[in-house]
Amino acid sequence: MQEPIFSLLDVERTYELRGRGWFHRASRQLKALDGVRLDLQRGDTLALVGESGSGKSTLIRLMLGLEPASDGRVLYGQRDLSQLDAEERKRFAREVAFIYQNARGSMNPRMRIEDILAEPIRLHGLCAESALPERVAALLDRVGLPTGLLQRFPSELSGGQIRRVAIARALAAEPQVIMADESVAGLDVSVQAQVLNLLRDLCREAGITLVFITHDLGVASYLCEKIAVLYLGRIVEQGPTDAILNTPRHPYTRALLQAFPRFDMPLKASLSGEIPSPVDLPKGCRFAGRCPQAQAACRETDPVLTALEAGRQVACLFPVAAA
Amino acid sequence: MDCAVAMNLEAAAMPESQEPLLEVCDLSLRRGQAVVLDGVNLALHPGETLGLIGESGAGKSTLALALIGLLRAPEVQLAGSMRFRGTELTRLREADYRRLRGNKIGLIFQDATAALNPCFTVGEQIAEPLKRHLGLSKWDRRERAAELMHSVGIPEPRLRLDAYPHELSGGMQQRVMIAIALACNPELLLADEPTSALDVTIQAQIMELILDRVRALNSSAIFVLHDLALGAQVCDRIAVMYAGQIVEEGPSDRVLASPLHPYTRGLKSCVVELGSRTLVPIPGQVPPLNAMPAGCRFAPRCPKAKAICGEQRPQAEIRDGRQVACWFID
Amino acid sequence: MRDALNIPAPPDSQWKRRFVQPLLRQRSAMLGLAIIALYVFAAVFAPWLATHDPTAQDLMASLQGPSAAHWLGTDSYGQDLYSRLLYGAQLALIIGFASVALGLAVGVAIGLAAGLMGGRTEWVLMRIVDGLLAFPELILAMAFMAVLGLGTENVVYALALSFVGPFARMTRGDVLQVKNQPYIEAARLMGVTTAAIIWRHVLPNVVSPILVQAGMRVSIAILLESGLSFLGIGVVPPTPDWGLMIAEGRAFITMAPWISGVPGVALAILLVALNLLGDGLRDAFDPTTQKDA
Repeated sequence: MQEPIFSLLDVERTYELRGRGWFHRASRQLKALDGVRLDLQRGDTLALVGESGSGKSTLIRLMLGLEPASDGRVLYGQRDLSQLDAEERKRFAREVAFIYQNARGSMNPRMRIEDILAEPIRLHGLCAESALPERVAALLDRVGLPTGLLQRFPSELSGGQIRRVAIARALAAEPQVIMADESVAGLDVSVQAQVLNLLRDLCREAGITLVFITHDLGVASYLCEKIAVLYLGRIVEQGPTDAILNTPRHPYTRALLQAFPRFDMPLKASLSGEIPSPVDLPKGCRFAGRCPQAQAACRETDPVLTALEAGRQVACLFPVAAA
Repeated sequence: MDCAVAMNLEAAAMPESQEPLLEVCDLSLRRGQAVVLDGVNLALHPGETLGLIGESGAGKSTLALALIGLLRAPEVQLAGSMRFRGTELTRLREADYRRLRGNKIGLIFQDATAALNPCFTVGEQIAEPLKRHLGLSKWDRRERAAELMHSVGIPEPRLRLDAYPHELSGGMQQRVMIAIALACNPELLLADEPTSALDVTIQAQIMELILDRVRALNSSAIFVLHDLALGAQVCDRIAVMYAGQIVEEGPSDRVLASPLHPYTRGLKSCVVELGSRTLVPIPGQVPPLNAMPAGCRFAPRCPKAKAICGEQRPQAEIRDGRQVACWFID
Repeated sequence: MRDALNIPAPPDSQWKRRFVQPLLRQRSAMLGLAIIALYVFAAVFAPWLATHDPTAQDLMASLQGPSAAHWLGTDSYGQDLYSRLLYGAQLALIIGFASVALGLAVGVAIGLAAGLMGGRTEWVLMRIVDGLLAFPELILAMAFMAVLGLGTENVVYALALSFVGPFARMTRGDVLQVKNQPYIEAARLMGVTTAAIIWRHVLPNVVSPILVQAGMRVSIAILLESGLSFLGIGVVPPTPDWGLMIAEGRAFITMAPWISGVPGVALAILLVALNLLGDGLRDAFDPTTQKDA
């Protein structure tokens, strides 16, 4: 097997919360991520699926080097992200592109689309200044937008258009990895379908490694070949998309699948209660409080992510039987 | 379509021809030059749940706001009729509307955080309609508020009565909204995207709760939704809206299982289901309100459109127990 | 695939569409601009428009009402008010714009430094700014005049100093806000250098509110300058200055009201015009008042 493009080794991210009182400055720790282990191979398409508070956004910020890991290591290739020198940093910036959830907000409102797309190309000296307009136009064409938009400002584009521009900008520096945070959330279904198809085609054609954050299992399954399900800062299950959809082994994954609205099944509230605060984590399995099949042992022992079958890992003491 | 057709349809659908709770006939709403709602016909019977489904700009929220009198002259111009238990709503005075809203018609909004007043405790906010519409005493109000909070699944209601909205999670705030909406046992509940700000497991909880309460009170409900599959799960009837018109309306199982209107079909093929392999987007985009096509509003994007579609607006026809507005129904 | 096939061709100049057209659409701003243009015209061509030397005294013709020889009358020294008014416009506009430009340059520099560097630098700079802001502008300018001494240049310096505080504070606030926008982080992720981020992404997003503020400040500067001169701590007589003219005329207000009245009315009209233009600029530049397409 070739070496992974990204590896996360027991990555942890904690935030210090200052005590409120004047005299009680005792700080508490908020564990946004805890013991995350993940290998990403070149050409993989991985979806990080989780509800709000699951730590999926923190995970991607760590993988982008926007935040340091409190513990553990994030490796890009074989280099630790926190130890890149200026040269490597620049290479990383070119090879790894990020698409923000807030596509409009991630673009300077006073720059034209043309200049927004040209910036990364110019920055990494990817083509001569004279060839730039042609290249920018080609980018826009690649994401299915007319070149008439080049002179526009971000505020003048519709929600679907601005996300395409964000995708075009991510492609501008010819990256090897694209990370995207909820890039289709809040779009109408017909526009969402367009953007999803675009992303899927681009990654397939160019062999780009994709890491896609989403709360929507359907979107994850459409776009990615692998899924990692996060719950309260931890990966509870990961594996190939089809396997996860057909035979979820973690009770939380199963509950997520059951709660997903479907035409052919009645509504089912699969889980009671809400995601607990990451500040005072219970001892034992962190899902135990909501788990329909929790046993006494679950409240005592914190399960670790263990391999079940080929490419399939689950963090549960009593995995759901494969039907 | 005129009301007679709607009535026939209803008669066909409901054997014991019951008086509809809410009846909308040829309702049009104009904002300046733009026709935001165009010839909407709807009927809702007691105990039924109806889903208004469509993409942004389809007019589903506008229709909901018009129904509860939050969009009215002089801001917009209304034509046609809306009758709630025989009362004509289009000519209702604001004071009479106020007696309906929160009393006979309960409201749930999308963003509970914005809809709840941060300055009052949730107990006070649940008690507000009890005081205004039912005139309960202070002590009774508090008791009833605690009961309501219990009924919407808020644990330890007596302790939470004095909590402020920001002290509760998004799901709990939405439960408070539901408690407020149901405080006076409304006959109609209107929920505008009640769960689109929530996580999927919480969404299922909240939807189940709303359905459960609505059935317990034997009320009717109108849901404004953008999620087709969710609509299929929670609604008895579905009205698919496009560009201010209802293009297809009928029992949800039939409308979503075998859609007749090309737009409903297109919309369904865009929905990401678990394990979807291909999505077929609808080409083009919704025309702007001030430049609507003269004929069928969906014609420019419709794969089946012929010359007549661009020229004349199709009248709704009854097919297979539903109304469909298309020139070429299979 | 394309959700945007029917896009109208973009107009030839977006800049025109975004800034010039909204401004042109505002009638009152255009009126203000026209009046200011008139004043600028008068100021620039004062040497040719004036009928007399503005400082030529003619005691025989003092305190005269408007006449064919002296269109707007004369003051107690017999100086021609019309000519003094024209040269006064020159002085008012020069002092107004120069002091604002100077205050803006220093204030924006301080604000940028404070907002971008943060930490101790920010703390020190902002405490200095707080010190400047603690006094009303007129009091501050008077204090500086007392230190610097009389004279036209010193008026400019004093007024500029009194404007440093507001500009610095405003720039810092805007910089802090822009600094946390996702597009700054996005640029950093793409590998854009810090200098380029400041130049391309931060500055263009803070500059327009500052320019609008600068436009409003010009009228304050002119008013303050006249105030200082009126109080006798501004420019020195016999320089043709509106504030001085008003002060001189005060003693003769019952016998010759035009001496104070003429420069007073001129000043008032200019201030109103500047404020109209300033309001217009604010509405044109402020993205919150612009409609999204």
